[in-house]
Amino acid sequence: MDIFLQQLANGLTIGSMFALVALGYTMVYGVMRLINFAHGDMVAASAFVGLTIYTEVLGQAVSLGAVIVIFLLSAMVMAGVGLVLERLAYRPLREAPRLSAVVSALGASLVIQNGIMLIWGPRMRIFPELVPQVYWDFGGVVISLIQVLILAISLVLMVGLYLFVEKTRIGAAIRASSIDQDAARLMGINVNSIIALIFIIGSSLGAVGGLFIGLYYRGITFNMGWQYGLYAFIAAILGGIGNIPGAMLGGMLLGLFKAFIEGYVSSTWADAFTFILLILILIVRPTGILGERVAEKV
Amino acid sequence: MKEMQKFGYPIFFAVMAALPHLLDSRWQAVAITFLIFAVVALSQDIILGKCGMFNMGQALFFGMGAYTTAILNNEFGWSIIATIPLAILIPAIFGALLAGPIVHLRGDYLLVVTIGFNIVFVQVLQNNLGGVTGGPNGIFGLDSLSFLGFNLTSQVAVYYFAFIVLLLTLWLMRNLAGSKAGRAMHYVREDQLAAESIGINPRIYKIFAFSIGAGIAGLAGTVFATQYSAVSPEAFEFIQSVLFFSIVLVGGSSVPGVLLGVFVMFVLPEIFREFATWRYFVFGFAMIAAMILRPRGIVPATFGKIPKFLIKGGSHVE
Repeated sequence: MDIFLQQLANGLTIGSMFALVALGYTMVYGVMRLINFAHGDMVAASAFVGLTIYTEVLGQAVSLGAVIVIFLLSAMVMAGVGLVLERLAYRPLREAPRLSAVVSALGASLVIQNGIMLIWGPRMRIFPELVPQVYWDFGGVVISLIQVLILAISLVLMVGLYLFVEKTRIGAAIRASSIDQDAARLMGINVNSIIALIFIIGSSLGAVGGLFIGLYYRGITFNMGWQYGLYAFIAAILGGIGNIPGAMLGGMLLGLFKAFIEGYVSSTWADAFTFILLILILIVRPTGILGERVAEKV
Repeated sequence: MKEMQKFGYPIFFAVMAALPHLLDSRWQAVAITFLIFAVVALSQDIILGKCGMFNMGQALFFGMGAYTTAILNNEFGWSIIATIPLAILIPAIFGALLAGPIVHLRGDYLLVVTIGFNIVFVQVLQNNLGGVTGGPNGIFGLDSLSFLGFNLTSQVAVYYFAFIVLLLTLWLMRNLAGSKAGRAMHYVREDQLAAESIGINPRIYKIFAFSIGAGIAGLAGTVFATQYSAVSPEAFEFIQSVLFFSIVLVGGSSVPGVLLGVFVMFVLPEIFREFATWRYFVFGFAMIAAMILRPRGIVPATFGKIPKFLIKGGSHVE
């Protein structure tokens, strides 16, 4: 039972990180039908940007204000990178064959990943200890302050995004664009601005996810983006790609799945089990848990 | 294009045949690497370019062939040449088995599932399943080539082995393009619904394409294992699959395009060694630029004898 509760807590923590990153994938896929392979590397880049803001801008000061500044600045920087990425690598290819955009996304991923390596070096860097090491012991189940913060902030962000997409006029425009871009354009929606907005939101949420990864695991490497990106993308598929609540649910479920595999089976097989789960889900229910049936365009 | 086929190929073959005698041993090794990766990229082209399936796990079949050769040679003492039939057959069967349940998936889902296969495969190798894969270190100390009692230890022999494999692959692809199966695969890629309505069973041809592509990649794996006399899991990581995937699409799914892509991706970095750390950074930009300027690839493939003016955009994809 102790292992169960402990892995439940760990699973919810990594699950909320997966969910934050998965939102970026699912929103872009929803509107553009494109797997944004560069998203995982943007998440990794955010951790490094946060590190640099901490050492260079804040002079290694640790305070609540400093943490807020790091999160806001990193999110803004990554939102800017996301906008540039969309403008340079994806917008020129909107009318091109779909595979061309996939290759462009892979190219962008290589550029960002190796850009991180050229700027911050190929070795692992240690993320600063921004949150005090506070632990609570509930009869053998240890929960840290970081875990509570990650879960709480992620939930607030996700509920906020959900309300924004469901209740506001701009949110309605996002939903309309993801159902049918041309029809949305005819209704007077500026689809270009919507896509730009999606990249801003997705990249900022991914940036928060990247900082969480830094805070939680401490060691950050330039090529870690692929790994988290793949997990987050699986989470998005699990919940039904293009579906925003689906990405949140999928992220949480995948985090729990991974934590329980690591707790009960073996950590060296965790990736294999995750992908086998993905393959089974795609064979049985390709639309994911909350996804609706999407017909292939013929 | 016609002149290219008339003169380009004989010149290319003549240069490639003479090449090992003009190079020192370091550049011979680079040339062998070029040949091996060219074969893998061409095998990927059958699945991705010719049949239109988003396969991003080609390194799996490549690795499966290499490991088949390594295990049979190391554990059971088979000579390298004797392992070839199984190194083709095992990946080909796995290709068909893995493709069976997934070929109906939409493009992007297929892509993610094949990434998954690749990652599961590498994890199986690393965890030394069955105790024969040698774990993270892999298997080393394979025998050198021997044929009919002759020991061919020199690198030149490996070069010609790789060259023959490339020639066989090109010959097979040329025949495939004109065959019933090749035409069916082309129609399935262009328009699956239309292909079905004229009596083509897309499922059969998709599995067929996967199987052929996997078998050829497996053969390339044998050459790879021979060249390095070792195999290890990181040579077949899924980043390799990403490279093969990109090479085919940037090249335009034609033989000259794919060979050019392999040259740029694997030979140029050897020439400009001082820029090694910039390699992928520059390639990333090149991939984006290539797709924006030429969305159908550097040298777009043509099919059959349809006159150019009938084809919108110079090629006929999607």
